[in-house]
Parts: sequence; C-alpha cells; structure tokens
Amino acid sequence: MSIINYSPKLSLCGGPAPTPTPAPVPPSAAASPNPSLELHVCMGLNACKGHDRTGTNNCAGTGACATAEQHNCQTLNNCRGQGGCGLYGDAEQQLMPGANECSWQGSCAVPIQAERFSTLGENAGKSVWLQARKLFEERMKKANRNFGPSPMKCGPPENWLTSVLGSYDSCGNSGDKRCSFGFNDPEKHAKELCEGKEEQD
Amino acid sequence: MVRTNFFTKQAEVTPENLGEAIQQAIEIEIATIPVYLYTYYSINRVPDQDAISGSIVQELTRAGRSLSEASAIALDLSADIMVYANKAGALIMSVAIEEMLHMALSSNLKQALAGLPQLAGKSPSTWPAYLPGHIPPFPINREKLSQDQLMTFLKIESPKPLTDPKLLAAPIPYETIGLFYLMIKDCIKNNDLYYNLRSPQLLPGKGYYAQNNIDTVYYDRDHKAHFTNAEDSGDLLHVRDRESALHAIDCIVEQGEGFPGAPGFENGKVDCSKIVPDDYDDPGEKELSHFEKFARIYCRHNTLTEKFKTNGIDTDITSYFVVNVQKNPSTVDYPPNIAPVSDLLNAVYTYLFVMVENCYMQAGSTQFEIFMFGIHKSMIFILNSICGDIMKLTYEYDGQTYAAAPTFEDYAFGLVSSPKTQLIELFNIAAAVYPTINYLGQRISDLPDVPLQVEGKFNNSGGYTSIKLNTSPC
Repeated sequence: MSIINYSPKLSLCGGPAPTPTPAPVPPSAAASPNPSLELHVCMGLNACKGHDRTGTNNCAGTGACATAEQHNCQTLNNCRGQGGCGLYGDAEQQLMPGANECSWQGSCAVPIQAERFSTLGENAGKSVWLQARKLFEERMKKANRNFGPSPMKCGPPENWLTSVLGSYDSCGNSGDKRCSFGFNDPEKHAKELCEGKEEQD
Repeated sequence: MVRTNFFTKQAEVTPENLGEAIQQAIEIEIATIPVYLYTYYSINRVPDQDAISGSIVQELTRAGRSLSEASAIALDLSADIMVYANKAGALIMSVAIEEMLHMALSSNLKQALAGLPQLAGKSPSTWPAYLPGHIPPFPINREKLSQDQLMTFLKIESPKPLTDPKLLAAPIPYETIGLFYLMIKDCIKNNDLYYNLRSPQLLPGKGYYAQNNIDTVYYDRDHKAHFTNAEDSGDLLHVRDRESALHAIDCIVEQGEGFPGAPGFENGKVDCSKIVPDDYDDPGEKELSHFEKFARIYCRHNTLTEKFKTNGIDTDITSYFVVNVQKNPSTVDYPPNIAPVSDLLNAVYTYLFVMVENCYMQAGSTQFEIFMFGIHKSMIFILNSICGDIMKLTYEYDGQTYAAAPTFEDYAFGLVSSPKTQLIELFNIAAAVYPTINYLGQRISDLPDVPLQVEGKFNNSGGYTSIKLNTSPC
C-alpha cells in the first residue's frame, strides 16, 4: 500500500472503522433479553406489548429493537425466526428475514439495518427490513391482530444502531452500504430504498 | 497434494477412463480456487479514500497545481480507485464462487458415472502450480493482484488455445479447459453409460448454492450496487442421465469461457474492445464469462493508469489498494507467531473439502446439516475471518516486510483422531500465540465432526463411528 499521511478532511469511504458513539440508552437496552419474550429480529417486528429490547412498547409492531440475540452474519442465529437475512443465503432464504425455519438458517445479521438490501431472489436490491415488516404484517393480519407503526418507517439506520448498541456490524467485504465516494447523497439512496426502489442499477 | 496420475495409457476420454477424466476435471477446478482466493484477499476492497485523495493532492500541488484544482482531480481519481478496488474484488469472488460450483457439478458427474469424487488433499502442493494436463503448461502463482496475475487468470479461462510453437508437436491432452470438457462430453454422448441414481449428490433447491452474496456486489461512483453474477447463469444440477450430464458440462464451460465463439487472446493480447453477446454466460446477458470478467479488470487497469498519467501521476495504481503479500508463501517460512495461525487456516480450508466429500456419502438432513452448518459456516464465518485476521500480521523475508497471507495449503490431517479434534487442537495453539482469534473458538467447536475419506472409504478410527453434529434441535 502507498504510504499516505495527508488528510484533506473529506468524509469519504474506507479507512479505519469509526469509533462508535457510547450508547445513550436505558441500562437494560443492551442486556440479554428476558427469555419469556418472543424473540424477533428488529424494530417494528414485535408481536406483543412490552416485547422489545427495552420492554416499553405499547403495541404490536411498535417495538424499538430486537429481542433475539444480536449477531453479525449468516449461520449465527440461535433458532427459528431469529435470523436477519439479506447478504448471504439462497433466493428462498432471502425472502424470509426473521422467519427462518431453524437455527443457523438466517442469512445475515440481527438487527436489520435500514440500509441492508437483499442480494438474491425476488427481493434482490430491495430493502430487507421492509420485507421483514411485510412478513410481520401478514402474520398479524392472519392472526386477527392490530399492530401499530414502526418507530422508524424503514427500520433502524446503521448509525442509529451503532449509537444504541455501542457497536454494530453486519458481514461482507464490499464496504459500507451507507457511503459516498463523493458523487452521491447517501440520504437520497436511503430514501429510495425506503420507498421500495431497487438498490441495483 | 496427492496428485492423480491421469491418462497413463491414452490421451482421449473413453468409458474406461471416464472416471479418471472427471477426477482430472475436479482437480482442475480445485487448482484454481486457492489462486483466485489468494489474489482476492490481497485486495483491500475498501481502502481509505481520504488518504488516497490526500496523497494525490500532495503530488499534484508539488507539481504546481492549485489546491482547489488538485482537490477536484483527487476526488475524481480517488473515486475511480474506490470503484476499481471494489469491483475487482467482487468480480474475482464471483468467479471463485462459480469455481466451487464447477467443483460440485463435476463431483455430481463423477458420483453418477464413476463413484465418489476425491476432493481433500487435491489442492496444489508446489508452487508455481500447473493445471493438470494443460498444454502448453504455464505457471500459476499465488500472487497479489497485478496485471501479470490477471494475465495468468486469463490463460486459465481462455476460450482459445494458448499458442506455444515449441509444444505443438507434443501430445495434446487438452488445450483449453473447454476442450477438455468437450472430450468428456463426447464420451458421454457417444456411449450408453450407466447412471448411478442411488448415491447422494449436491442438489439444487436446498440452499447450497447462491449465485450472489454481498461479496460479489460492488458499488459504482454513485454508490449504486451492482451484482456480478446473474441468477440464470447456473446452479447445481442433479446428474441423472445423458441430458443432465451434458447440461452440467455446458454450464461449467459457458461460465468459464462464454458461449462458443467468444473472443479470447488475439496474438497473445487481450481484446479490450466492446463486449459481444458471446462474452456473456447467461441467456439474459447479465453475467460475463470468467474470461471476460478478468479481461474487464485487466483493461480497466490500463485505462485508469492512462488517466492518472494524463493528470501527471505516474504510479502503479494497485499501490493504493493492494496489500504487499509475498509470492507463493509457505507456512514453514512463517515466523512462530504466524505459522500456527496459518496451520489453523489451512486446516479449516482442508476441512471444507473433507466435508464436501462427506456430503457425497450422506443424504437428506444429515447432508443438509453438514453443508449448511459445516461448509457455509466454515467458508463465511471461519475461513473468511481468519483470512482477515492473519493479514493483520507482518513478517520480514529477504529484507522486506510482508503482510502474512492465507497460503491455502492442504493440511495433512492425521488418522489417529478426527479432523475436528485436530482443528480444535490447532485453534488452541494458534489462539495462544494470537489471542485476536479467540472469538473463533465457539464457531470451530460448533462444526460437525466429519471423518476423513481414505482411499474412497471414510476413516472412523478417530473415535467417531458416525457423524456427530454439535447442533441443537430446534
């Protein structure tokens, strides 16, 4: 590698990972979830009152964060319904974020950051969190349950997760999905993904 | 490497030597995997753009450009480097993934027509290596990304024979991988062969193969994602009759070389002109053949170098994002603080092949669990992690400082205990000298216990009479 020691103070891509901001959350937020809670993989995917990481949500679908154990890649989820999906795995798996059949079959990290897009199948290039929310809403309707809106319309942004959890990582070597080489506005990309547009050109 | 002696009596494929020929095909595919992976890991896919830009600004201002002008050029050139580094990595990984698919397709072919495929211990053991049977032979090195290395990749995937006047009079086992597969195809076409439908194969529809993942994705200048493999370019296939056998071979050849008629080397040079339909490997024309993927990286290097020169910067652009790893390193040459980590890495690498071999002895959920909990986990979350960790270590060799690289050597598992037992022992030794990898302990202990295959049979002398999986029922 070239020896480089000049920084023009641009905020571009790559380089060492930023130091995460300390978590400004209630003391119980990063602790192990209560085993009696239903385990789900992200914000807005809780089926019951009080079943999010802070235990303070009032209604199904309004929880702030996952109760399933945080993990950062495929094959690391503990059991059924606890995998994130999106970056690895086959086309069928990638349609089932938070709804995997068995342990270790989830194909990506938990929780699911808003910027994550599927890499294969019908949802390729589209938001993983929106797919997870869609499955959740279908499940609630089938069970004749009311549910509220997610605290964030498109799921938790990566920066927010980092600030809440202390650190956040999902797998892969291709770089930060929320980034700019100096020619794009990451906010615009995030908005497009949130609107259901494909990330892929 | 236990090298198989191919074609001891004849240089054509017949029903009698079909098994040897398919085994040779498997070993050709295996030989490419460590080479592509080695070069892949030499690439920093996400270099520090601020640092690159700053370096360019310094150079341009020293040459008399104003700061604002230099900054604008630096932003443009650094973005080019960011895209190139990421794209080169994505394309090489997309090819490596398909080589693994080819290994599995060839193994399915062998299982159907000639018995168990042999995979473990078949990686090249001496470097430079040579593709088994390729005429003319050419050296293949584990090297960092460079134009020379890309030229080697292009030779491996060439759809056209490599001209070597000195060797034209020699016997010709095969001149391109495609022609070699054609010999197998002719044998299958022209003979009424028995297809074994009872022995397990790696089948589609089970989640074993995914054309794309996040590592085959790259971002363009606008940070839009591009997927380098197409979903219609190929998949696992059950070899059950002549038609499916021929289909499997077509998939392998088209992914490597493109459709018949694809341009290759012209007078030893790469054609960097416009892509033609035959350069694709899928009906939708979304995925380039391996040859054309490498050609695109090679050609873009040239145009980028020219662009830097036009702006007054005469440099090897790979210096911005390629890690300085040694050519063809061996674990025995590594110092004591690196060698145990390298041993562990190679044992995990070899265990992958052991597990794939075992999948050809197991059907149903046992095969599924070995594949998903053993092979997927090992590739993505153990091997990839150790590769990243070992490259943080440096060593001196011949007066130069190098980053330690994954050597992808076959690890010689002993027969006294199971490979997994040995993996755990190796992990303990490696973690003692490099505690950074402590986090891998649980992942390794979660792997299934799979015995070694010895001369076509599985060795159970290590205390395991059957496969024991450390998986909890759901």
